[in-house]
Parts: sequence; structure tokens; C-alpha cells
Amino acid sequence: MKIATMKTPDQVIIPLEQHAGAVCNPVVSVGDIVSVGQLIGDGKSMIHSSVSGEVTAISELPHPAGKNVLSVVIKTHDGEKKEFKPGDFSTYKMSRIIRDSGIVEPNGLPTVYKKADINTIIINGTNTWDLSSNEALMLDHPSEIVDGLRALIKSVGAKKATIIIELDSEALQVMRTETIPDSNIKIIATPTYYPPGTESTLAKKFANKKVPRGSTPDDRGVLVSSISAMKALYDALCDGMPMIKKVVTVAGAVRSPKNVLVEIGAPIKDVIEACGGCTGTPVKLIMNGAVSGAAQYTDEVPVIKTTTGILVQTESDINREPPSPCINCAWCVDECPIGLLPHLLYGYADSAQFDKCAELYIGDCVECGMCAYVCPSKLPIVQIIRYGKHGVAAMEAEMEVEA
Amino acid sequence: MTLTISPLPHAKSRESVKSVMWGTVAALIPISLAAIYLFGFPAVKIILATVIAAVVSEIIIYKAASHPITIGDGNAVLIGLLLALLMPPGVSEHIWVPIIGAAFAIAVAKYIFGGTGTLVFHPALIGFAFLLAAWPTLMGAASTPNLGSFSDLLIETGAGRLVEASPALVLLGGAFVLYKKYVDRRVALSATVLLILLILISGKGWQLPYILTGGYFLGLIFLAADPITTPVTKRGRLVYGTVLALLILIQLHFGAYFTGMCFAVLMMNVFSPFIDKNTIPKPIGGD
Ligand code: SF4
Ligand code: SF4
Repeated sequence: MKIATMKTPDQVIIPLEQHAGAVCNPVVSVGDIVSVGQLIGDGKSMIHSSVSGEVTAISELPHPAGKNVLSVVIKTHDGEKKEFKPGDFSTYKMSRIIRDSGIVEPNGLPTVYKKADINTIIINGTNTWDLSSNEALMLDHPSEIVDGLRALIKSVGAKKATIIIELDSEALQVMRTETIPDSNIKIIATPTYYPPGTESTLAKKFANKKVPRGSTPDDRGVLVSSISAMKALYDALCDGMPMIKKVVTVAGAVRSPKNVLVEIGAPIKDVIEACGGCTGTPVKLIMNGAVSGAAQYTDEVPVIKTTTGILVQTESDINREPPSPCINCAWCVDECPIGLLPHLLYGYADSAQFDKCAELYIGDCVECGMCAYVCPSKLPIVQIIRYGKHGVAAMEAEMEVEA
Repeated sequence: MTLTISPLPHAKSRESVKSVMWGTVAALIPISLAAIYLFGFPAVKIILATVIAAVVSEIIIYKAASHPITIGDGNAVLIGLLLALLMPPGVSEHIWVPIIGAAFAIAVAKYIFGGTGTLVFHPALIGFAFLLAAWPTLMGAASTPNLGSFSDLLIETGAGRLVEASPALVLLGGAFVLYKKYVDRRVALSATVLLILLILISGKGWQLPYILTGGYFLGLIFLAADPITTPVTKRGRLVYGTVLALLILIQLHFGAYFTGMCFAVLMMNVFSPFIDKNTIPKPIGGD
């Protein structure tokens, strides 16, 4: 088994906002006794309790995105395991099942959320950097993942599906064997590359469908989903289990780096502890990988549905090289998955020329971090682009007032 | 526990401005050695003179202007070395000439245009063009190489300039910088391939041996595709390479071989910002 299980944490903190903008309303109150899989937040997507226990607080608590978010705190009851009764989904429509089970993609959006004619499904099975949760899932649960995919293909009426796996991944062979009976599922081996890109870049690369600005892959008949969503779909369909656990790669300066199955809401402190704790003094705790992850200011933040990894860095991992002027090398341009001109955005934002930033589509930047990763001048491009986005927003607000 | 908070990314690639510049210098070492092998002491003298002159003038100018000294990044050394390679061995008898060229390259093409990143013209080419205008007779090569036999690819005995000593070794260094992306692949490859094709289809096949020389390879790979002076948009770089190939062809038509190529590159340098402006890509996807 590639995936280790972790002792249920004493307490979980489940933010009612699992991805930016989609806030749920709590449907439990302090003092309630909840069981595993019980609905605790209702909204655009649903949120369920990952443990059995008592709701001890509902308050604003640190969220991995760096702000405080209304969260439900549940103290786990020792020993007592309330029997979980699986929901009956057989007659529901797929989008309903996905919503009711709270299944979301690593980007925080539900797998299926709008009506579209889907022709091709792309499942992203690639891993980024030292995060390997996708590979671990495929090695441990190949048949469940493929079953989940089969169900998805059938329900959305897709003609074909593609699973993208890195060339050197052990999972490649496993998944090939698993999908032998399915003529409509293709496994594509790809060289390791970063960024695995956005849904749009994947659609272009692997389904040959260009996604023009202002549209999503669904509009071109492509549904881009993930390995973790397929596993969650299987769990929902077969066991009636909503999305309450996540496989998380713990990497970096920890004693035994590995993939762990974690209850949503477990503080990352507990997860790191389950991997033997930190080696050396941690200086940065990063959720979701070295390039596009977010540095955390406390180890109390919980694992949420979009968490795929926890990276612990010590002083020696941190590059504090001072930036030097841009040399116009265009490496950032070559790497940007969206097709932006990061060095120009940097220059204009840095000199507060926000109108120019807007002209160059600064708002389209997905903050993947690739430009700043490759930049030989070590410029903090993403930081300045964020500043530029705020500047553009302020400028637009001002114009509205005037108009 | 105090944790550091910083915007992403939390890892950075190992490449730096330093590694790009010094890496390019390293790629030019084999051809420099070949030049020394072929021309002997004059080549040593020229290389040392331009490199030292470039470094010293950068120190003096940047100090006088109280700018931070950035000699360590290797850019001045690279400019000096590139300029040295463009020299005919004969100038070693007037060693102040390449020295002035190097100083001019740094002072005018690099410093006045705002330094690495904002400069418009390739400094080594500006230095060369300046010397060509000031001392045309000294800058003329003793001979024009013309690929006659296969062995000329390795050591070109008809070499008239340092860089022409060995086409194969320039290509070797070129392959390295292309692989490492220290120069722009789109420009270098589109210009080279198109130029060869154009020569073939224009029925001027006899000219081909003149461009399969160290000078052209250096020009197309190290000078024309220098990342600082080329456009940044992907489409723009292809346009750049294409127009460059056409310009070089025109120069060839008028019998201007090596110097023609240099002027073609300088001409393209001017258009770089213009090409960028007209090839701004439209981002994909989004909600
Ligand atoms: S962070 Fe933004 S600008 Fe930079 S590569 Fe990613 S999408 Fe492009
Ligand atoms: S990668 Fe850095 S140095 Fe190169 S063009 Fe982009 S911002 Fe400038």
C-alpha cells in the first residue's frame, strides 16, 4: 500500500468555504452530535463531517488561503463510531450526486457543475514536483478509479476518456492493465513537465481543443477532472460516502515523507506528526507544492478538499537570492500556461501603470508561479502581479464611481 | 514556531543571470581555443585585450555613475569575448583598436541604453560596427572562408576572423546554449533553416558554403538569438527569425558576407520592440 492511514485527529476544523467564493451555510449548531458523513454545510457544494463527535464551535478560523473563514470545529468522540448508513444515489443524476457528495476538483470547483455536451473526458493523473498523491491513488485503487470514470463517462454521455500519466510513473502500467477492457478509455503517457497546466491547457494539449479566452473546456465538449475526484465518485456511488477524506502527500523536511489518507479538517500539525514530525526547524509550511502552493502562518490550518500536499521547508530550502533587473530573456513567456507576458505585467505593475496591466490581461493570471520559478533574475513576479491585480481592481472601481 | 510567509513560488530554478552569461562564455571557450590554435599569439592578445577592456570600462563607467557594479554576472566578459571573436587576427598589431571597440560597446550600447535587459542593440555588434566605420581597412578580414572540403568544418584554414577558425566548434557551443535555452531557439532555428532554404530555392546554391562558416553560426545562434535583443512574444520571435533570414539573403545578394550578416542583425534589433507590440498573444481559457 502506498497510502498510509492516519489516526483520526482529536479535533477537526472544517472550513465552510472550501474554495474561494463558495461559502456554505452551517446546518449544525454548537453542541450537536454529528456522525461521519453527516451534512454540516449546505450551499453551492456540500460539506460533510469527516468524523463522529460533537460540534464544539462554529467560528472564524485560519484557512489555508491565508484568511479567516467560518469553520465548524468538531471534537472527535473516542471509540464511539456511529454506524454510517450509505445514501442511495442510484437514481440521482450525476451532477446531483456530485453536489450532494461534495465532490470537488483540486481547483475547488465541482466536477460537473453546468450543462454541457461532453465529448471527451480528460483525467489528470500527473503529479507536480514532490507531490505524488495521484500516483499513490492509482497504485492503491486502480479499479475504483476506473469504475468512477466509467460511471462518469456513461452519465455525461462522453465518447472517450483519457487518463494522463507521467512516462516514468509506476502507475502507468497498472492503469493500462486496468483499462484493457475499455476501448473508450485511453492512457496517455507524457514526459514529466510542469505546470500540468490549467484545465484549458490540458484540453488543448490532450484533446486538441483550443479553449478561447473567456470560455471553459466544457464549452468545447471537454471535461477535465482528476484522479481524486474519480475515487471520490466511486466512494459516493458504491458506498454512499461523501468526500470527507483526501490523500495528501507530505514532503520535504519530515522524518518519513509519504502519502497519507487524511480526514478533511485535520490540522496540518497532526498530519506532519503522523509522518514522524519535522526534521530540523521548519521555516515554511506550504500547502500544495513548492511552486504554486501557499505558505501558511500557522500549523493549525486544516486540510481541505483542495489540499493535495503539505511541504515542509527549512532555511536551506529557501532561496533568498536578491533579484536583479529583468534581462528580457522571455523564459517567463515560454512557461506561462495561459499565454501571458509576465515580464511586462511585472514591469507595468511595478511602476503602477495599471491600465497597461489590464490591457495585457493581468486578470487572467492563475498565479501558478511558473514565471517566477524560471526567472533567472529571481524577480518576485507573482507578488507584483498580485499587486497589479489590486491596482486594476481599484482603478476599475474608481472609473465606475466616475461613470 | 515562527513561520515565514511569502508569496509563491517557494522554489526557484537554479538558473540565474550569472549562469546564463557564464554558461554562454563557457560555450565559446572551444572556438576561442581553436582560434588560438590556428592564429597563435595574436588571437590570445585580442581576446585578452577585449575582455579586459570590456570589464575595466564597465567598472569605470558604473563606478562613475555610482551604479552597482555587476561584473560578476559575466555580461561584460561575454560582450568582450564575442567582440574578440569577430576580429581579424591582423588587428593584434593595433591592439588599441579592439580595446576601443570593447569600451565603445560597453559605454554606448550597454550603459547608455540602460544596461542588460533594456538595451536595444547587441553591444558586441555595436562595437564591431563602430570599428568597421572608423577603421574599415583594419576590420577587413584577410580572407573570406568558403567551405571547400569536409575538413574545413573542423579547422578552417581560410579563416579570416577568429570565430571562423572552426565551424564545428561554434556549432558545438551553439548546441549547448540552444539546449540550455541561453539563446532563443525560435530565432536561431527559424533564421538558420529559412536562410538555407532560401539560398537553395533562389538558385544561389553556390553561396551556401559561404554561410556554413563559424561567423554565420556565431551570428545566427549567439548574436541574433541573444535573448536580450530579441522579441519576447513567441510569434514575434518567429517573425524576427524569418525577416532576419530575408535581410541576410539580401545582403548576400550584394556580396556582403560576414559584415552583411552583422548589419542584418543590428537592423532587426531595431524592430524588436515593434514586433513585440504587434504580436501580443491572447490568453487562453478563463471563466
Ligand atoms: S503566475 Fe500568472 S503570469 Fe506567471 S506563469 Fe502563471 S499564469 Fe502566467
Ligand atoms: S524570466 Fe525574468 S528576466 Fe526573463 S524576461 Fe521574464 S521577468 Fe525578465
